[in-house]
Parts: sequence; C-alpha cells; structure tokens
Amino acid sequence: MPEPVLAAVVPEVIRDNLPFLAAGFAMTLRLAAVGIVGGSLVGLLLGLLRHAEIPVLSRLAALYIEIVRGTPLLVVLFVCYFAIPALAGYRTTAVAAASLGFVLFIAAYLAEDVRSGLRSVPSGLVRAGLATGLTRWQAFRLIVLPQALRRIIPPVFSQYVRLLKFTSVASVIGVRELTGSALLVNAREFQPVAIIATAAVTYLVVCSGLSLVGRLLDARLSIRT
Amino acid sequence: MSGSPLIVLDRVCKQYGTTPVLRDCSLAVARGEIVVVCGPSGSGKSTLIKTVNGLEPYQSGSVRFDGEEVGARGTDLPRLRARIGMVFQSFELYPHMTALRNVMLAQVHALGRSRAEARERALALLARVGLTERAEAYPADLSGGQQQRVAIARALALDPVAMLFDEPTSALDPEMINEVLDVMTALARDGMTMVVVTHEMGFARKVADRVVFMDEGRIVEDRPAAEFFAAPATERAKTFLSKIIAH
Repeated sequence: MPEPVLAAVVPEVIRDNLPFLAAGFAMTLRLAAVGIVGGSLVGLLLGLLRHAEIPVLSRLAALYIEIVRGTPLLVVLFVCYFAIPALAGYRTTAVAAASLGFVLFIAAYLAEDVRSGLRSVPSGLVRAGLATGLTRWQAFRLIVLPQALRRIIPPVFSQYVRLLKFTSVASVIGVRELTGSALLVNAREFQPVAIIATAAVTYLVVCSGLSLVGRLLDARLSIRT
Repeated sequence: MSGSPLIVLDRVCKQYGTTPVLRDCSLAVARGEIVVVCGPSGSGKSTLIKTVNGLEPYQSGSVRFDGEEVGARGTDLPRLRARIGMVFQSFELYPHMTALRNVMLAQVHALGRSRAEARERALALLARVGLTERAEAYPADLSGGQQQRVAIARALALDPVAMLFDEPTSALDPEMINEVLDVMTALARDGMTMVVVTHEMGFARKVADRVVFMDEGRIVEDRPAAEFFAAPATERAKTFLSKIIAH
C-alpha cells in the first residue's frame, strides 16, 4: 500500500505501534498453525480410535473427547500452564502451554468430525473392496478414509476458524498474541476504539481467508453422489 | 482342469439370531457353468452367493471354492476373493475415483500389478463394456447402466475364475437393463463360470445352464434351465414364475 493511503486508513496509534502489534499477529498465526496441524493429527488419531472399536483404547478416546468438550478453553489452558507441568515436573512457558492447550482442545472437536466422516461412508463400498481381494486395512485406507476426509472439509475448516479466534484466550495466561498485544498497547495509549477495531478487522480478514481456503478445497475435493 | 466342480456348497446353514436365513443349502457349480438363482425376496439368494466369497459367514456346513474351504480359519480370504468377481445390486463404485481408477484399484493393491499394467488392463476392460470414452468420468456422472458396466469391468480386472452377480439389474431403470445383460451374456458366451441372482427370466432362459429356485432359505429346485421353465416341479416355483412373468 502506498504511504498516503496507509496514513488515511490506518490510525496513527496503530502505525506507531505497528512492529509490536505485528509481532502479536505473528504469534496468533503461530498458535493457530500449531493448533491446526497438531490438533488435526491428534484429532485424526482419536477419531480413528473412536471408530475402530478397540476395547479399551476406544473408550479412553471417547472419555477424553467427552472431558475436553465439557471443559472451557480457558480452563484447558490453565491445566496446561499450571497443573500438568506441576504434576509431571517440568517447566513450561506460556507460549508452549497455550500451544499444547490448543492442540488438546481442538483435537477433541476434530475427532468427532473425523468419526462422523468415517461413519458416513456406506459399508457396501467396503464390502465391494473386500470382494476384490483388498484386505480390511487396504479397504479402510483406500476407500473409507479418503472419502471421510473429503466429506468433513467444511466442519473441519469451521473448527480451524474457531481455533483461530480462540487463540485470543492465550492472552489471559500472558501470551502476547494479537489480542494480548492490542490490550497492552491500549493500556499505554488508551485508544480502545482504534486498537480493538484494528484487532477485530485483522481477525475477520484472516478467518475469512481461512474459510475461503476451506470452501475452495471442498469445491475441488467434495464427492458428488 | 479338473472334473470336480469349482464351487461346492454342502448343507450350509446360517441364521441371524434365531431367524434361519439358509437351511441346508447344497449346490455344485462346474467350471464354465451358468447358474441362475431366483426366488422371492427374503428367500436367502443374496446371502447364499455371498457365502461363496466369504462375505457372509455361515454357522454350519461347508463352502468350497476350487477345493478350498472358504470358512476355514487358515483361508487367505483376500487371495481367494481376488479369484472371484462380484457385482452388486447397487454397483458400489468408489465415488471418489474415476471409472478408470475404480477398475485399477484392486489390480494394484490386491494383485500387485504396476500402475501402467493396471491402467492398460482397465482401459481394455472399459472398452469391452463399451465405456472407453467414460474412463475419466466419476460414478456420479454415469448412468446406472454405465455404473454397473464399470462395476463388471472392475470385477473382471482381477481375471477371476468365477463371477457372482447379486441382482445386477434390480436397481436399474428398464431401458438400461439390457445394456448390462448384454455384457453378461457376452461373458457367459466366453465361458465364464457365473452364479447370477436375478429376476430377469428372459436372461435366465437364454443363458443359464441351470436354475436354482429358493424359498425361505431352502433350495427348493435345482434343475436344468429348460426343464425348469417348461414345468417347475414345485407349486411354489410355479406361483413365483407366474407372478414375475405375468407382466
């Protein structure tokens, strides 16, 4: 953006604090990226366990999902920041604790999406695969899983968008992500309208972008039946 | 080639809970033979043919395919199934793959063929069922008749020694039934061993060597096709035939 336009659109208080706010924004993106990647892997694993009906493991996965989904995000972050390090005897940072918390939190929701996706694949297709000499594992890997993952693109991306907004909660345990940085700048400058509006618009733009990626992927990969 | 039958069912019984589905079913199918299985719905026809490739377990009796006991613990079912093609009522094409990839999948993963070889074979089979130009189409873009022909190509791609058809035309609009029956008739002419569950009595009359009539889980009649159509031995079969041929 050319300098005059930037000056006209962006309030002075933001321009003055831009490096600090940008660092906060970078932290927001980092937390979201870690949560999305890690949460997807853990969520996939939990969803597979739920689906597989392995005696003890499936029940444990179900219990985990139930507990996390019944716990406020802030409490999950506290647990990761204070309780787990204390019990397990290690030192952590606010950023590491928040990252862990987001992974554990969003994984529980993604696991349910994975499970419903797996259940939505008609069993007749598995029988057809078995009839051609595929093993159960091959039929799952080649027929069930690819369809399940494609079908759940919309709900999974809405979880990703939720997570992106949820990263703001990390400010409560002292992480300087976008919201935390904005609050710090506001404490010094006291221009809440400009500062909070800027943060809000930034979240909106990134969330819209993420939703758009989801819609494009869905349009490209969705299965017509 | 041995003179012993390819498929032998001996007093096969199966029940869901306390409901019997198959009662003492015995049947032998020789190599190259075409057997049509018919009977009212719920008579156990589909269940019967699915015991042949182990898709339906059974409680007692024995099912042998080419000398191998299907229900035995040590049986390598994937390897056995790769030798038996199966076509389903509702096609069951993989919706996330093109017709070509549907026909390639098991060749690559069950038989271990190279992708190039599988592709070549798949294209040849799609040509054989008249769908060369639809190779890159997804199942959702194919008509029912086209989908079923792709499904037949998928089953043939494994070079099976026998084919099982489970009501292959029941889900089709009337104008598409013949395109599927034509493919099946050509297959029969080529000497394929076939067990076909169907209500298409015209097809049975033209192609079948034998007709098996089932009712309430029992094989009630098992006779040469010509004899069966000329004069069914049982009252039950007579009633059934008059009902489905009347219109």
